[in-house]
Amino acid sequence: MDNFEPVIVAFCCHYCAYTAADMAGSKRLHYPANVKIIRVPCTGKVSAIHMMEALRKGADGVYVAGCLEGDCHFRSGNTRATKRVAYVKKLLDEIGIGGDRVEMFTMSAGMGEVFARTASDFTEKIRRLGPNPARVAMDNPGCAAG
Amino acid sequence: MQEQRRSEFSNKVLIVGGGMGGIRAALDLAEAGRDVVLVDKAYSIGGLMTSLDRTFPTNNCDLCTLSPRLSESGRQLHIELMTMTEVESLSGSAGKFTVNLTSKPRYIDLQKCTACGECYRQFPGCVRFTPGLDHRAPTCMRYPQATPYAFSIDMDACANIEELVRICPAGAILPEDRQRSREVDAGAVILAPGAEITDPRVLDTYGYGVYPNVVTSLEYERILSASGPTGGQLVRPSDGKKPGKVAWIQCAGSRGLREGFMSYCSSACCMYALKEAMVTRERFLENIEATIFYMDMRTYGKDYELYLQRAKNEYGVRFVRSRPHSITPVLSDGAMTGGLRIEYLPYNAGRPETEEFDMVVLSTGFRISTEVRELAAKLGIELNEHGFAKTGGFDPVAASKPGIYVCGLFEGPKDIPETLVQAGAAACCASADLSSLRVVQEKNENFPPERDISGEGTRIGVFVCDCENNIGGVIDVKAVTEGLRKLPDVVVSETIGHGCSRDSLERIQEMIRSEKLNRVVIGACSPRTHEAVFQDTLRKAGLNKYLLEIVNLRDQDTWVHTDNPAFAACKAKELMHMGVGAVRLAHPLVDHTLPMNKDVLVVGGGVTGMKAALSLADSGFKVFLLERSQQLGGTSRKVRRTLEGRDVQSFLEELIGKTESHENIQVLKQAVVVDHSGMAGMFKTGVQVGPRMVYRQIVHGITILATGALANRPREMLLGEHDGVLTQLDLDAVIEDNPQKVKSLKNVVMIQCVGSRIPDNPNCSRICCQSAVKNALRLKELNPEASISVLYRDMRMPGMQEEYYTRAREKGVVFVPYEMEDRPAVAADGEKVSVTFTDPVLGRKVNVFSDCLVLSTGFVADEESTEDLGVIFRLPRTSDGYFLEDHVKLRPVDLPTPGFFVAGAAHSPKNIRESIAQAQAVASRAQTFLAGDAINMGAAVAKVDGNRCAACLICVRACPFDVPFINSEGHSEIDPAKCHGCGVCASECPAQAIQLMRYEDDQILAKLDGLFERTA
Repeated sequence: MDNFEPVIVAFCCHYCAYTAADMAGSKRLHYPANVKIIRVPCTGKVSAIHMMEALRKGADGVYVAGCLEGDCHFRSGNTRATKRVAYVKKLLDEIGIGGDRVEMFTMSAGMGEVFARTASDFTEKIRRLGPNPARVAMDNPGCAAG
Repeated sequence: MQEQRRSEFSNKVLIVGGGMGGIRAALDLAEAGRDVVLVDKAYSIGGLMTSLDRTFPTNNCDLCTLSPRLSESGRQLHIELMTMTEVESLSGSAGKFTVNLTSKPRYIDLQKCTACGECYRQFPGCVRFTPGLDHRAPTCMRYPQATPYAFSIDMDACANIEELVRICPAGAILPEDRQRSREVDAGAVILAPGAEITDPRVLDTYGYGVYPNVVTSLEYERILSASGPTGGQLVRPSDGKKPGKVAWIQCAGSRGLREGFMSYCSSACCMYALKEAMVTRERFLENIEATIFYMDMRTYGKDYELYLQRAKNEYGVRFVRSRPHSITPVLSDGAMTGGLRIEYLPYNAGRPETEEFDMVVLSTGFRISTEVRELAAKLGIELNEHGFAKTGGFDPVAASKPGIYVCGLFEGPKDIPETLVQAGAAACCASADLSSLRVVQEKNENFPPERDISGEGTRIGVFVCDCENNIGGVIDVKAVTEGLRKLPDVVVSETIGHGCSRDSLERIQEMIRSEKLNRVVIGACSPRTHEAVFQDTLRKAGLNKYLLEIVNLRDQDTWVHTDNPAFAACKAKELMHMGVGAVRLAHPLVDHTLPMNKDVLVVGGGVTGMKAALSLADSGFKVFLLERSQQLGGTSRKVRRTLEGRDVQSFLEELIGKTESHENIQVLKQAVVVDHSGMAGMFKTGVQVGPRMVYRQIVHGITILATGALANRPREMLLGEHDGVLTQLDLDAVIEDNPQKVKSLKNVVMIQCVGSRIPDNPNCSRICCQSAVKNALRLKELNPEASISVLYRDMRMPGMQEEYYTRAREKGVVFVPYEMEDRPAVAADGEKVSVTFTDPVLGRKVNVFSDCLVLSTGFVADEESTEDLGVIFRLPRTSDGYFLEDHVKLRPVDLPTPGFFVAGAAHSPKNIRESIAQAQAVASRAQTFLAGDAINMGAAVAKVDGNRCAACLICVRACPFDVPFINSEGHSEIDPAKCHGCGVCASECPAQAIQLMRYEDDQILAKLDGLFERTA
């Protein structure tokens, strides 16, 4: 897999991470096109099923990005999300896919740079891990492959 | 219902001028239920801002933020827009004016014109067009999202009128159109006529108009603009070559005493020159040099100092402190090469220098036009010697005649955020002159009844916006739409130019109707900014607004992947597929509403808090005013006089008296906010009040933060250690209370930027330059013999303040610039203070023994209180501890959380007058919010499927707001009116019995399917 281009799904909360992504855009910061954002009202909305389904359908990596600790618009959704991501990581380790493929990040709405850096770092990490062994749709070349 | 009783007063406001200020004032008034007649002499509204390429400090074009506002302005039920219209005369008094208006013929039927452009294509000479360098390019609309979206014909320039009438496909040409007059009743008048740009031709040594590569800043904006004459290519006018070296010359027409110069400062030019230089460097990187010639960089606004630092450090813009003497052409064999030679005298050298550039931009300023002076004469309001409106010292937007208010450039030179603040203030003052009985009216915006789509097969319409070059310049939007046509259920897939412009929105409506679309996907900018605009479009076409999916192609794709258009195009396709997948499962939803609490909480009892409270209390709202100390007044208690010489304490005394005795205001002193919950329209805030810290809860609809800032007293330069060292605030009191002491002073030294513009407090405190000049002038008046030196980095005296700076120099006050790297050194010397600094002209250190050293220490944010309040209210702050507004340019007093507003020094340092303007602006914004009777909770609420619920209580425990309960039928129930819509319960529910509307599981999975599906 020399030209492996991972597909990454990022569940971003409307109030912080999604806004940070917009901020990264308005500052014209670059990050890999591998990352596809799905907007959710709060990271507390992202269930284990969403993460697992993303992997099953073809994602090589999944991350959940929410507000900084203590800053959740809905009080505690991000702490729930953190716990849920930890749970999914454990599950993935157990079934041999590897917990490294999912991650939780937090950032404030103003942190465009952090959003861009996180997207780049996570993409690189998944690139090193190689393709997700569980994905059913293997023929998606991914955007960054052209 | 109360129609008859308010008959004595008019409920209408006339606004003259449809630039940013006029539009903002009109929207504020209309949203608060007032009627507005907005007149503009031009044929489309938008004013100066629509000619700009981008605006500072965001460096976005912001037209996308403005233009929905313009169509909003065209749309608002309460706003009647009259273009090509001027005021003839005015009679009557505040509350009942009668105004005569005349409208020039447009020769176009606005109802019929579709702006197809056929008239322009066939008879370009007949169509009116203004801005630009080359007046014909690329279209004749004043700007691409013009309102009204219609052409305007110059009949005198048209030779073949018959043929012109014939070629118009809409039959919109009216050759017989005539001037019309109309009489309008108005309770108040707001003047927002703007200013014109100074003509650089009078600066004969700069050769504007002689050498083509000397351009004005506005022309440079047009060259950079994608809708400008060069399509956004930076090329110089003489030969179309890309310049390698561009120079900006500041104060071209401002801050001068010579013939043709304005003596005041035009206030906005330093910032726009920085912006132009940064944009130039950003677009062309290393290949282009940007140099700014300046006298003082006046970046005194909120975070503007950081912008200056960015220009210097990140963008490598070069700064030369000097006002160039002349520009001469570079010759080769006697012919002009297009190059320009600038001759200048550096501030710290005795010998003139020259340097060659490829292009020179003159930073021209603002001046009041003859037409506006005539308008003022017709209305009977007084102007100052430069033609700017005279306003009250503590009444910043009130003109000399009661009932007439001003905002924006007509009040004095300023930038857009300050114009918008004044516009809000003017709207607030104007509505106070109208009948106090509020018009209770359903704002139903004339939406047609919603079409019942149950039983219809899925019919998806896809529209992809090019956002000028923002999207279309990176990816081929046409190719994207063509690919999507193959997807099941997609019946329409097309590109739209400027998706948020009026004609595009109408095109979408038309397609919804004609193609019977029942789902819509828009590929455009962020749903965060434009969802409401597109939702309204669906509603106008009779569709439920939730049958929409917005795909963020701009902010999250084309802006990010400019470096790789192929990736961007591929990602755009995937994102669009995700949108189509999700919209297929969208279904009509109903917004939930709750009754609104209309009480107001104002935190902070300084001038700003009191002014805001009084404005709202006078309009009949109940206000709780919290003050943490034992008395009202804030920082103003320590200020004795303003720069203009007005007595602050007597003003304050009157203000406190009014506030404390107002029947609608409850003042709570020694009050500290301790907890907070709820949402806009139904907040609950816990407060501990009085010496005993008694807890009470206040229920309110909105919150205004007016917590001010602190007078800075940094421990440096012997402050607090030596009796001869004072702050400007200390000196203010000494001058007032101890004139004898002042008369004995022989040698006074003032040092600017002590504790400001330094790494610990990076921003400019804005008020210190004026404080220094104010105090220096007062010292000179009491003691003309005293020697006064002001050591400064940049003297920041914007607008008319410049004249006080000039006067101080005339009176013999010596101003000496110093560099940050070479700050003055201070040492005690008995009763005196020795100050050592570098004299830039002599080029060596000078030592002065001063009997009074005055430090201009300015403001620091009240970190302790803004941090606490920021946490309790969940509000963002700037890195230096001021509250951060929603949009620095266009929403300067709205905080990002709905129902929260900020005013005064809690926003950023400012003087009393500026604080009052913000207080009034906030009161205006608050009234727009409080005009409704219901809070819209949106439709994203959790719904329980009772059949699947096992009553396991997990949702009951998981909900952060304690909303779910087990009902009498034995399953969980969620009250939609209480649900905040986070979706935690939905993701925790083991039986998947709960779905969060708009974000249902199958919609999220459909997005994943859309991402991974193959459409080869």
